[in-house]
Amino acid sequence: MKRENEFAVGVVVIAAFAVVVAGALWLSGAHLGKTEAVYTARFRTVGGLGVGDPVVLRGVRVGRVEAIRLAPGNWVEADLKIYSGVTPPATPAVIAASASLFGEWAATLISRDPPPADPNVRQALTEAQAAGGGKWPGATLPDIGQLTAQASRIATDIAAVANRVQTAFDSEAVNELRRSIRDFGQIADRLARVTNEQADVIGSVGSNLRQGSDVLAKAATSLQGTLGRVDSATNQGQLATILNNSAATSANLRSASQDFHDLMESAHKNQESVVRVLVAADSVMSRIANRSGTLGLLVSDSTLYKETTLTMIQLRQLLSDIQANPRKYFTFSVF
Amino acid sequence: MIAQLGRRTVDAVKAVGRFGHFVSDMGRALPDVATWGGLTVVQMRRVGVDSLPVALFIAAFTGVVLALQASYTFTGTVPLYFVGTLVGKTMMLELGPVLAGLALAGRVGASMAAELGTMKVTEQVDALETLAYDPQSFLVVPRVLAGTLMFPVIVALAILTGIATGWLASLVLLDLSTQEFLKGLKLFYRFKDTWFGLFKSATFGCTITLVGCIVGLATRGGAEGVGRSTTRAVVYSAVLLLVLDAFWALVLLR
Repeated sequence: MKRENEFAVGVVVIAAFAVVVAGALWLSGAHLGKTEAVYTARFRTVGGLGVGDPVVLRGVRVGRVEAIRLAPGNWVEADLKIYSGVTPPATPAVIAASASLFGEWAATLISRDPPPADPNVRQALTEAQAAGGGKWPGATLPDIGQLTAQASRIATDIAAVANRVQTAFDSEAVNELRRSIRDFGQIADRLARVTNEQADVIGSVGSNLRQGSDVLAKAATSLQGTLGRVDSATNQGQLATILNNSAATSANLRSASQDFHDLMESAHKNQESVVRVLVAADSVMSRIANRSGTLGLLVSDSTLYKETTLTMIQLRQLLSDIQANPRKYFTFSVF
Repeated sequence: MIAQLGRRTVDAVKAVGRFGHFVSDMGRALPDVATWGGLTVVQMRRVGVDSLPVALFIAAFTGVVLALQASYTFTGTVPLYFVGTLVGKTMMLELGPVLAGLALAGRVGASMAAELGTMKVTEQVDALETLAYDPQSFLVVPRVLAGTLMFPVIVALAILTGIATGWLASLVLLDLSTQEFLKGLKLFYRFKDTWFGLFKSATFGCTITLVGCIVGLATRGGAEGVGRSTTRAVVYSAVLLLVLDAFWALVLLR
């Protein structure tokens, strides 16, 4: 046997031993040379928690699950090895829960003060605490498998509902729905058109309102100017003068009215005379109509009218001749 | 046909009987430490140390391939740090022991079958017996012990190499950080992963060397017989190794 063989074999064996020991310790997260405290937690079930799973405090790994065993009273006890230097909460409790979607589990240390919000967890912790024995109370959250199973059941229900909906929506229903949608589309088009038209009208109304508003603004400005002028006129006494003139005019009108009243009274008084004149005139007119008297004869007798007319013509001719040849008819001498 | 079937059955039972005798003889030789003690170290060198390059070479490329295949498989919803998990678990539980075992079945098993077969057909084994040497103590026990002891050593280093090359491949080829790879590597680690692989490799080593010794010492027919024994040893070793792998998985991983 050569010593060379012994050395080579020894080196390989030592190297392999070192690899195995160091690798196993490192991969398992063992803390060599440190005092570790072991606490026992009590659960109804530990779910997927297993030996070697991490113990976590506020997200930091502070130990590992050392052992899991069944205990009397339908309990499960888990020994948790906590690293030295780690102080557990004053009122500790342990929640076993899935740490990821891929089957990792962890035991999380929490404080029971304040109690957890989840009523199921709170009840489980209370029940485990009531069992006594100085063990930490533990509760287990449903794992991903349970949640996905529940989700699967929900999905199945949804699928059943979808099938029923599909059954209810046969081809005729779909056609009707399609028609309704098409009608609705047409209504929407019409509504859009009406809206567009009304928008134009509303626009013109708005424009008119704007113009009216401008006019009102101008009127207000004019009124304001007028009021200003009135105010200034009032201040300068012109209004008083106008009022005074109006009062005088009113007095004159009142006087004229009185005169007219007097005149009417006089006319009333002369009413009898007027009646008599009218009667006389009526008599005259009757006589003319009866062709009596001079005027009657003149009216009824055309010969007389013609002679009179001829006379008037001759008279005009005479006057014209006189105007043309005055010396023929008039002779003036001073001496 | 029935007679042929009967003959085959009888032969199989006889083979089991010979195997029992062989193991029994080996057990009887175990107290003869003075004979096999020194020879075992020599065999440990030949079986273990000299086989390291082959085993580490295979493990190195296995680690790279595992990392790449894992990343190829984990596209989508599975986080990439599971590459570390898959590389570590697969190397420790399966590929490290099995691939190293198969490689060494070819190298060690064939070597032993050929060596012992040659000794048998050249009557060197008979000469040992004539010189009052127990062939079991002198030839078998050192080889079987060396195989049983050194296979876990080789497999441990092969696992380390495979994980290291897987990590390097993840780092260089997959854009995976060291922290992520180590997170995946530690994620589902149990100490059982380590001892299971090493225990399994010890049984592989024992089986391969035992088959090599049995087949080698049963060699008949000169050089041709040696060739047949060599082939037979490799085939038997490989088949038994896979059967044993399934057996241990069934027994220890359930």
